[in-house]
Amino acid sequence: MKRGAIIGIVVIAIAIAMIISIFTDSSTYANFTEAKAAKEELHVVGYLNKTKELHYDPVKDANLFSFYMYDKDSVECKVVFIGAKPQDIERSEQIVLTGKMMGNEFRASKILMKCPSKYNKDKVEIKAASAV
Amino acid sequence: MAIKYAGESLLPGQLGQFFVVLAFGSALLSFISYFFATKNKDDFSWQRIARSAFWINLISVVGIGSCLFYIIYSHQFEYYYAWSHSSRALPVYFIISSFWEGQEGSFWLWTFWEAVLGAVLVFKAKTWERPVMVSVMLCQTLLGLMLIGVEVFGQRIGSSPFILLRNALDLKEMAPVLFADPTNLSNYLNYIQDGEGLNPLLQNYWMVIHPPTLFLGFASMIVPFSFAFAGLWQGRHKEWMKAAMPWALFAAMVLGTGIIMGSFWAYEALNFGGFWAWDPVENASIIPWLTLIGGIHVMLAYRNSGHAYFTAAFLLLLSFVLVVYASYLTRSGVLGDTSVHAFTDLGMSWQLIIFNLIFLGLMIWVLVYSRKEMPISKKDEETYSREFWLFIGALFLVLACLHIIAFTSIPVVNKLFGTKIAPPVNIVAHYNQWQSGFAVIITLLTGVTQFLKYKRTDPRKFYASLVVSVIVAAVITAIVAYITGAYHNLVYILLTFAAIFSIVSNARILGDALKGKWKLAGSAVAHIGFGLLLIGGLVAAATNKIVSVNQSGDIPVAGFEDVEKPGDNLFLNEGVPANMGQYRITYVGDSVSGVDVFYKVNYERLDKSGKVTEKFQLQPKAQQNAKMGLIGTPSTRHYINRDIYTIITAANRIESLAGDGHDHADGQEEDPLKGYEEPVIHEVKVGDTISYRTGYMLIKGVNKAAKLENIPLGANDVLVGLTVEVHANDEKVYTAEPVLLIKEGRIYDFGKDVAQEGLKLRFSNIMPQKDRLELTVYQKPKPEKKWIVMKAIEFPYINFFWCGTIIMTVGFFMSILRRSKELNKKEA
Repeated sequence: MKRGAIIGIVVIAIAIAMIISIFTDSSTYANFTEAKAAKEELHVVGYLNKTKELHYDPVKDANLFSFYMYDKDSVECKVVFIGAKPQDIERSEQIVLTGKMMGNEFRASKILMKCPSKYNKDKVEIKAASAV
Repeated sequence: MAIKYAGESLLPGQLGQFFVVLAFGSALLSFISYFFATKNKDDFSWQRIARSAFWINLISVVGIGSCLFYIIYSHQFEYYYAWSHSSRALPVYFIISSFWEGQEGSFWLWTFWEAVLGAVLVFKAKTWERPVMVSVMLCQTLLGLMLIGVEVFGQRIGSSPFILLRNALDLKEMAPVLFADPTNLSNYLNYIQDGEGLNPLLQNYWMVIHPPTLFLGFASMIVPFSFAFAGLWQGRHKEWMKAAMPWALFAAMVLGTGIIMGSFWAYEALNFGGFWAWDPVENASIIPWLTLIGGIHVMLAYRNSGHAYFTAAFLLLLSFVLVVYASYLTRSGVLGDTSVHAFTDLGMSWQLIIFNLIFLGLMIWVLVYSRKEMPISKKDEETYSREFWLFIGALFLVLACLHIIAFTSIPVVNKLFGTKIAPPVNIVAHYNQWQSGFAVIITLLTGVTQFLKYKRTDPRKFYASLVVSVIVAAVITAIVAYITGAYHNLVYILLTFAAIFSIVSNARILGDALKGKWKLAGSAVAHIGFGLLLIGGLVAAATNKIVSVNQSGDIPVAGFEDVEKPGDNLFLNEGVPANMGQYRITYVGDSVSGVDVFYKVNYERLDKSGKVTEKFQLQPKAQQNAKMGLIGTPSTRHYINRDIYTIITAANRIESLAGDGHDHADGQEEDPLKGYEEPVIHEVKVGDTISYRTGYMLIKGVNKAAKLENIPLGANDVLVGLTVEVHANDEKVYTAEPVLLIKEGRIYDFGKDVAQEGLKLRFSNIMPQKDRLELTVYQKPKPEKKWIVMKAIEFPYINFFWCGTIIMTVGFFMSILRRSKELNKKEA
C-alpha cells in the first residue's frame, strides 16, 4: 500500500473518531421535565427565581448552596449545588446548569451564569447634585 | 423642541468621530490605490496616493485613541464609553485598561497595531509593499467600519466609542420622575456624578499588558496572510516565503506570549481556580496559533526540499481567516451559553460574518486562481527525510486544531441548524484527553525530526543516533515519575516521556550550536521551551489537587453522601485553626485598604509527629463590591516545584464597603430602622437604669426646653426631650436626647442614634396616669463572629509552564533574528 494512502486512512480514522465523540461525549440542553426522565447528566438553561430565598449558610456548611430556578418553559425546580455560592448569581440574566435530577431536586455540578456585561446593565446611577 | 444640554464637552467627541470617519475613508482609499498600484507596476502615482492615504490613516487612528483617552482620563461621563467603563476612583493605569474593556476599544487596539505594522511594511517591504499592503489595508478598512457607528438604511454599521450617554440610553426611562422636568433633563450631567467603573476582575496589572500583546499577535497575523496572498496572486511563488518567515515567527511569538499572559492573569488574579479552562474564548485564541505553527514548519519543509508548497500557503492563509473567525466567536455573543468571558452582542454579528466571508473568499479565490502555477512536486517525499515528518507534524497540529474548532463551534452549529447540542458535561476532561493524545505525537515529532536531514537520511544512522536519546529520555522519565510520586495515568507518562525526549533531542542540537552552529539554536530553544511548557501545563497542572477538602466528615445532604464528593470549600472561624492536608491553617483577621479587604490566613506545615516545619501567611484579597458582591483575588505561595493557591469564596459582609447594593434612584428614602433588631419598649421614670447588651443607660431627666429646628411651636404644642446617659461596657459615656412633640393633638417623636453602640433611642410616649415615660430602644444585632470560606489548590510543577513559555519566546526571538538576517543578506 502506498504511504500517502496510509496517512490518508489515519487522518480519516481520527476525523471519524472526532465526529463520533461529538455524538457520544456531547450532552443536550433540556428542561426540568426532560431532565427528570433522563438518567445522565445534561444542561438546563433557565432563570433564577429571584422571589425565593437563595440558601447559603457557610457557617453550617460552606459547600451547600441551593436556589430555585425556572427553566425556559417556566417550570420551577429546586437546584442544589455542592460548593460555595457563585458570586453575583443574584444579578444573573440567565443560568446554564450542568447536572442531573435526583428526586425532585436538580443536582448541579456546574453553574454558568450570564451576567449583564457591565454591573447593572444600562442603569444610570443618579445621585443628587452635590457641590462637585 | 430641541433640548439644550448644559455642561457637555462635545469637542473631543466630534473630533474623535471625525477621525473615525477619516480613518475609514483613508484606509479605503489606500486599499484601492494599493490595488491599482499593484496592477500598474510602472505607475508610481497610485503608490503615492496609497502611501499618503496610509499615513493619514495612521494619524487618524492615533487621533481616535487620543480623543478617547482624553475623554476617559478627564472623566467626561457625557460619553457612553467613559461612563460605562471607567470611574473617578480609577488610577491612571487602570484607566488604560478601561480603554479596552469594551469592544470598541479592543477594535481600536487591533487597528492601531495594524497601522503600526503597516508603517513597518511601508518602510521595509520594498518590492512587496504594494501587493502586501492591499490585503493589510483591506483589513484596516473593514476594522474601520467596526468603529464608524452610523446608520445606513436603518442598519447600524459599527459601534462608535464617541456616542453620547444621552443618545446611547434613554435617560427619561432611567429616572422617569426626575427627568420629566425639562430643566433637570437639560442639566442631566449634574446628576451623573460617576461612571460605572471598571469590572473589579479587570483591575489588575495584567489587564494593562495582556490585551495589547494579544491584539498585537492577532494584528500581526495579517502580515503572513498578506505575503502568502500576494505571492500567489502575483505569481512570485519562489520568493514570498522567505519574506513572510520573520513575520510569521513574530506573529507566533507575540500571539503565543499574549495567550499565556492571559492564562497567567487568570491564574494570579482571577477566581477561576486554574490557568487554562478550555473556555471557548481561550480556545478561539489558540486555534489560529496552532495553524500558524503548522504553517511555519511546512514553510521550512518547502524551502529546504520543494515539497508541501500548497500546505504551507494554505495554512498561512487559513491562520488569519481563523483569527477573524475567533473574533466572530468572541464578539458576536454566539458563545453566550458556553462561555463566561465572551462579549455580548453589539448588533454587529452580521458585520463580523461579512468580515469572515471576505477573507475566506479571498483565501479560496487565490488558491483556485493560482492552482496551475503552484510549484507542486510530483515526487513523494522520502520516508526518512525531515520534510516528510515536518509535514506529518503539521498535519497533527491541524487535527488538534480541528478538534478544538469542532467543539468550540457547537453553539455556531446550533445557531445554523437549530440543533440543541450541548458541549460535553466534563469539558475539561474531554479536551485534556484528546489534546494530550495530539500533544504526545507532536512533541515526539519535535524530537525525532532533529535526527533527520532534509531530502534523505541514512536509516541506520538515524536509528543509531535516535536510540541514545530514547534511552536517556526513558531513564529521566522513570526518575521523574518516581520523584513526583508516579503518575497513574498512562497518557501523562507518555506525555512526560514525549516532552523529555523532545528536550533531550533539542538539547543535543543546542550543544552543537554552542560549538558554533548558532543558526539552528533558535528552533532548538523554542522546542525545549515547548517541552517544558507541556510538562508544566498538561502533566503537572492536570494533576492539581484541592487541599481544602472538607475533612470534618460532614454529610452535605443526607442521603447523598455516597454520590457526592466532599466539598472543596473550607469554613474557618477567626482564630480557630483547621487541619487541611499537611497544613494547619488559621484565619487571623483582616485588614481593609481602600476597596480591598485582605484576609490573613496563616499556614503551618506539620510533619508526622505534629511539629511545625514551616510557617507562612497568605493574604488573599477580596473586593466587597456593592454591585457585584464579593470578588476574590487569590494569593499564592510559590515554591520551585509547586504552588499553594488560596482564594476566598465567601466572608462576612463589611457594610461600609459592600453598602446595601441598591441604587437610590429618584430620591427613594431608605427605611431608617433597617438593620436594627426588634425594639424593646421600656416604661421608665427619671433615675431609672436600663441595661442593654453591651452596657446600661441612665435616665437623667426631662428637658422641657428642648428645641427643634425648622418646626415652629404653636401655643398648645408640647415639646420635651428625654436625656439619657449611655454607659458602654468599655467605660465610654454618651449622652442622647430623643424628643417628643405633641402638635395639634398628635404625637410625633424624633429618635437619636448612638452609632458607636449601635443604638437608636426613641422617646415614644408620655403616660401621665402611670407617671411613666416610654423609651423605645433599638439595637443593632451583635456583630457576627468573623469567618471566611476559602478554597486552596495545590498546583505541582506549574513553574515549568511559565519557564517553558519564556524559553519558547526566546527561541522564537532567536529564529526571527536569524530569518530576518537571512532576508537582508539575500537582498543586499
